[in-house]
Amino acid sequence: MPKRADRRLTSGVIIIFIGLVVLAASLSPVSSVDARLGRSTSPVSEQAFAILRQNCLGCHGVARTSGLDLRTAEGVLKGGENGRVIVPGNPEASRLLQFVTHRAKPVMPPDRKLSDAEIEILRRWIAEGASFDGFAPPATAAETALTTGNAKTEPAPLAIRPFTSEERGFWAFQPPRRVVPATPSDPAWSRNPIDAFLFAAMKAKQLSPSPRADRRTLIRRVTLDVTGLLPTPAEVEAFVNDERPDAWERLVDRLLASPHYGERWARHWLDVVRYADSGGFEYDYDRPEGWRYRDYVVKSFNTDKPYDQFIRDQIAGDEYAPDTSDAMIATGFLRLGPDGEDKGERARQDALDDVITTTSLTFMGLTVGCARCHDHKFDPIRQADFYRMQAVFTPAEPLNYPVVPADVVAAHKAETARIDSLLKPLKTARRELEAPYAKILIEEAVARLPEYMQLAWRTPEAERTPGQKLTYQQIRKVIEIDRQAQKFSEKEMIARMSTDDRRKHDAMTAEIKSLEDQKPKPYPTARAITEKGREAAPTWFLHRGGVDARGPAMDPGTLSVIGDYRFPEPPANASSTWRRRGLAEWMTSRDNPLTARVMVNRIWQHHFGEGIVRTPSNFGKLGELPSHPELLDWLALEFMDRGWSVKQMHRLMLTSEAYRMRSDDLAAGTAIDPENRLFWRMPRVRLEAEVIRDLILDAAGNLDRTLGGPCVYPYIDPKLFQSSTKRTWPGKSDDDPSTWRRSLYVYSKRSIRYPLFETFDQPNLVNSCERRNRSTIAPQALLMMNNNFVILEGKKFAERLVAEVGNDVNRQIERAWQLALGRQPTSFERERAIAFIGADLNGQGNLAEFCQLIFNLNEFLYRQ
Amino acid sequence: MTKGVKLMNYLSRRDLLTKLGGGIAGVAFADLLNKEGLLASPLADQAPQSPLSAKSQHFPAKAKAVISVFCYGGASQVDTFDPKPLLLKRQGEAMTGVGEIQTVMGTPGGLMPSPWQFKKYGQSGIEISDLFPHVAEHADDLAVIRSMTALSPAHGPALFQMNTGSILPGHPSVGSWVTYGLGSENQNLPGFIVFTDHRGGPINGAPNWGNGYMPAAFQGTPFRDSGDPIVDLHPPQGRTPEQQQKWLRLLRELNEKHLDQNPADSELSARIHSYELAFRMQTHASDAIDISRESAATQRLYGVGEQPTDYFARQALMARRLVERGVRYVQLFSGGGNFDPSWDAHWDLKGNHGLHCAETDKPIAGLIKDLKSRGLFDSTIILWHGEFGRMPISERMDGRDHNAAGFSVWMAGGGVKGGTVVGATDEYGYRAVENKKTIYELHATILHLLGLDYDKLTYKFNGRNMRLTDVHGRVIKEVLA
Repeated sequence: MPKRADRRLTSGVIIIFIGLVVLAASLSPVSSVDARLGRSTSPVSEQAFAILRQNCLGCHGVARTSGLDLRTAEGVLKGGENGRVIVPGNPEASRLLQFVTHRAKPVMPPDRKLSDAEIEILRRWIAEGASFDGFAPPATAAETALTTGNAKTEPAPLAIRPFTSEERGFWAFQPPRRVVPATPSDPAWSRNPIDAFLFAAMKAKQLSPSPRADRRTLIRRVTLDVTGLLPTPAEVEAFVNDERPDAWERLVDRLLASPHYGERWARHWLDVVRYADSGGFEYDYDRPEGWRYRDYVVKSFNTDKPYDQFIRDQIAGDEYAPDTSDAMIATGFLRLGPDGEDKGERARQDALDDVITTTSLTFMGLTVGCARCHDHKFDPIRQADFYRMQAVFTPAEPLNYPVVPADVVAAHKAETARIDSLLKPLKTARRELEAPYAKILIEEAVARLPEYMQLAWRTPEAERTPGQKLTYQQIRKVIEIDRQAQKFSEKEMIARMSTDDRRKHDAMTAEIKSLEDQKPKPYPTARAITEKGREAAPTWFLHRGGVDARGPAMDPGTLSVIGDYRFPEPPANASSTWRRRGLAEWMTSRDNPLTARVMVNRIWQHHFGEGIVRTPSNFGKLGELPSHPELLDWLALEFMDRGWSVKQMHRLMLTSEAYRMRSDDLAAGTAIDPENRLFWRMPRVRLEAEVIRDLILDAAGNLDRTLGGPCVYPYIDPKLFQSSTKRTWPGKSDDDPSTWRRSLYVYSKRSIRYPLFETFDQPNLVNSCERRNRSTIAPQALLMMNNNFVILEGKKFAERLVAEVGNDVNRQIERAWQLALGRQPTSFERERAIAFIGADLNGQGNLAEFCQLIFNLNEFLYRQ
Repeated sequence: MTKGVKLMNYLSRRDLLTKLGGGIAGVAFADLLNKEGLLASPLADQAPQSPLSAKSQHFPAKAKAVISVFCYGGASQVDTFDPKPLLLKRQGEAMTGVGEIQTVMGTPGGLMPSPWQFKKYGQSGIEISDLFPHVAEHADDLAVIRSMTALSPAHGPALFQMNTGSILPGHPSVGSWVTYGLGSENQNLPGFIVFTDHRGGPINGAPNWGNGYMPAAFQGTPFRDSGDPIVDLHPPQGRTPEQQQKWLRLLRELNEKHLDQNPADSELSARIHSYELAFRMQTHASDAIDISRESAATQRLYGVGEQPTDYFARQALMARRLVERGVRYVQLFSGGGNFDPSWDAHWDLKGNHGLHCAETDKPIAGLIKDLKSRGLFDSTIILWHGEFGRMPISERMDGRDHNAAGFSVWMAGGGVKGGTVVGATDEYGYRAVENKKTIYELHATILHLLGLDYDKLTYKFNGRNMRLTDVHGRVIKEVLA
């Protein structure tokens, strides 16, 4: 079963199993406690220990969760952070018994209840005085089988839980199977296999597909889906009047060739990988070069980069193509998570967890992050799998990869060094000049301190008490070295200098400043990943995820339920471990049952409103089952057969009959399948926050369609972000054209969200988002009614109408409908609009309000 | 089905049906329609469910609302609610017997006595320092937890933990969980409102009151200290209420025509309805914070119009007005920015805490008194806390460094047993040693006081049933009345 790379762990596992068998034989076999109850000849303490061992030691053993260690008599008697857990002789007063009987919280074990028989043994054991004769010594033979290399804690066993056949047989872990769909009775539904699959499923439930939508609806739908922009009135008319049989296919191809396609689909991807332009946490440091990854994603979609290559770039671009800028920038994927100032082991573990969680959700549709502290509760993902995957990522190190040629970097370094060498003597000289004056100020500052502190300062070193030593150090550090707080004033020091010294001091300061100013500006870099060498430092299994509860060292691995995988051996001259490369190979192998399915499902979701699996990042047991498993498999196989071409999958889906159905509520359909699980119609979907903003700009004729590059900062009310000195938002006013770029280019700062985005359910930029919330709340309405941007764009829209069709209100209304909604107004709409625009005073003002109203129409905000 | 699952999703009818399966959900939600006359509206037959509709508690409880006073930067326990005479007796001496002392800013000093005196107050005799003379008058209403602990002694993670339970960003804040669990009793106001200090907000910024992975309806709404309380609350100058109403009428007409095509779509009708709510919010939000409607006596009670209390007093008074109107969770930040303007007294403890306590003492006491006189005290929980406490030893000679190992917080009001002291720190006031408490437990207790079971209040996200207290927590029984 094990391949070579797995040997260390697996052989350990075998020893554990043997050890456990031996141990179990020496104690009471726990599994038969029930049967043996009352007839057991072994002491009750042995039975009690066996129950604790089986049920409790996972957390309250070496991991000492809540400070409780139930392995030894001392540990049991001492109890945990919240006090004693047993009172020998008094089961009723023993909290342990209250927890296992669920009379008190937290109930234990947290996920299940012990059998009555087991509880009775524990009760008896305590009642009889809680003897510890039956407790094993802390380190048994089995436990020492694995050496941990960690002096802090004693070795502990890895209980490797076996998989059941049901778990191994779970649909998502089986390779996709190709099934040929039955030919539908309706010839319109037999041209595209997607339709055939859907049609068969509908027929099985006596459902019929909705009729085809009209052409105006369709061009608006597909344009929004593919590019996230509005079709122009000319495009609408051209398509409506295009009588060629392949008019639709031509439209789809034109849109897929648009550079705005990449922008639209990059946004979907950025949701999943929780992209942001800042680090989150305390100071939320900016990542001014973060956009390079975003542009990489846009470019990848636009050039139809094969998805397997897209994965290889992001997971291990540095191991495949360290000299290729694109591949290096792509590894920025591994650095998209939040990062704080805390650099401890706990923070490192949290960061690795974040990478594993996001990587597994993104590419595998599994919640591997759940296995950090324990085996996955629902899916066959072992805690060991988590740490094997962690071993894949531990060697990765951040690299700020220069995106300029090497000679530029070299010149930069040389010039910086040159200036530093000039600065150093100057700074020393200035310090020397200051010294006598500083000394006086320091003495004066000390004289203002409390008496006991002054005493500490004056006491000779040899005579200082430990407390005085601390005080002395503190005074020295604060006043003498840091010259901090109000105790030492630089200004005052200069004021006290002799005229001559002050003149010298001023000159030195000026020269220092001038040199500092000459330092070359930093060259541009991308956030990338590298490794230090071919050998990796060990990765430890952590019991309960505790940084102090190390278990055995882990070799890199993947998900054991999917089968064994041999990581590639890096060549002798490799400069990295090839572990991420190994993971990427495994992910992009045709044998991986998840990768293709997960991606085609994501594509499907954004075309059909919901996925075939409605939990696109969770293909596990708590996720939803596929509504059309055979279709999902067929798509996954097609995806791989067509060279992992994302654009071909779009084309396949968009040219289906299913994609072109009407979105209306039809009684027959809503009665049988109200949730549209069988895709009998196209759902109406509220557009995403960014699309709403883009459409407003687009309708108003203001949208700057420039592709890529650094981010822009539209206006945010300073009240919404004024906080620390480190937090800024250089917002430009709403009428500054530099802000009229697509929303994709709005700087995404984790702690300062653009209000329109935040209100309309943009994900929080910290967690991977598989599917956006679509909520309807009053603050959205307030913003669309009163926000300056929306009002201003209403005015711009009005100006555009006047510019295009003049002052005839009838023509203005028609044009407004064409531009914003792609159709003519109805007579009702026309009549009401005229009344509104004309009833009050002076033409233009009301036209602008009317134009703003258009942005608020449900029809404008929904894709139908 | 637990409440968590039942409440899981009411984003839209379609989402709802997805999660709950079929038409039963529609029936179940009929009784959740909000109090604001939705049923009388012409749209009543398709009345949309609001995510903030009031929801029932898991079990009966007195408290309905929370006002949290967040002493951002970290208030010192040994100078406020946890007297340690030893610090004076052994001033300047090294703190021994506590293992390695971890200071955030480095260079630990000797023991530093508090510049303030402690006295016993009330029947309960709780000891409180001179920094809080007004609050001290209500000693018998307070449940002081002297053994609180936090996971991180750095502001960022500690703020996240106090506000969301996790030291990592990305999680919903307590206020989000509470509004998610209970909805709001007033649909014309946000259910969760935040006031920041005039010197700036806390670091971490808006994620401190963020909705994390929950829908936007549950995020904290920052109220501004001047002008309109909410950004974009009112139309710009020059647009009259009449014009706006006309505009809204037309919008509704056109949207209703569009709805005619699919009259059963509750999401589309919810959008139409949301404009009515928004319109009402314009008046209600402004009224809610209009403290000029309060009597002079009430204003004086809080310290409005005096210095240095005026700013915080206004916010405390607004908090009462909001709670009175059914808002679920109000958070008041005292202190903002970095160092000096916050409670982060790395130096000049005397000046720092002297100022911040003087700013907040009278307003907090006024709030307690006012809530009592209006019969709201028993249904409102008041929390007083920072993100951690401070060190008993000196830093930079006259300041104190961060300390997450033991610090004081207090609760008062609905369901809280006043005159209580829970737990203790060691003789220095450095580490919680007796009846140690965690923030998970504090959060579990807040939910419990509101009638929510912390164990059952879950939200499903990325395959997990998330909880405010994660896998931890238990109710701090000692503070329950």
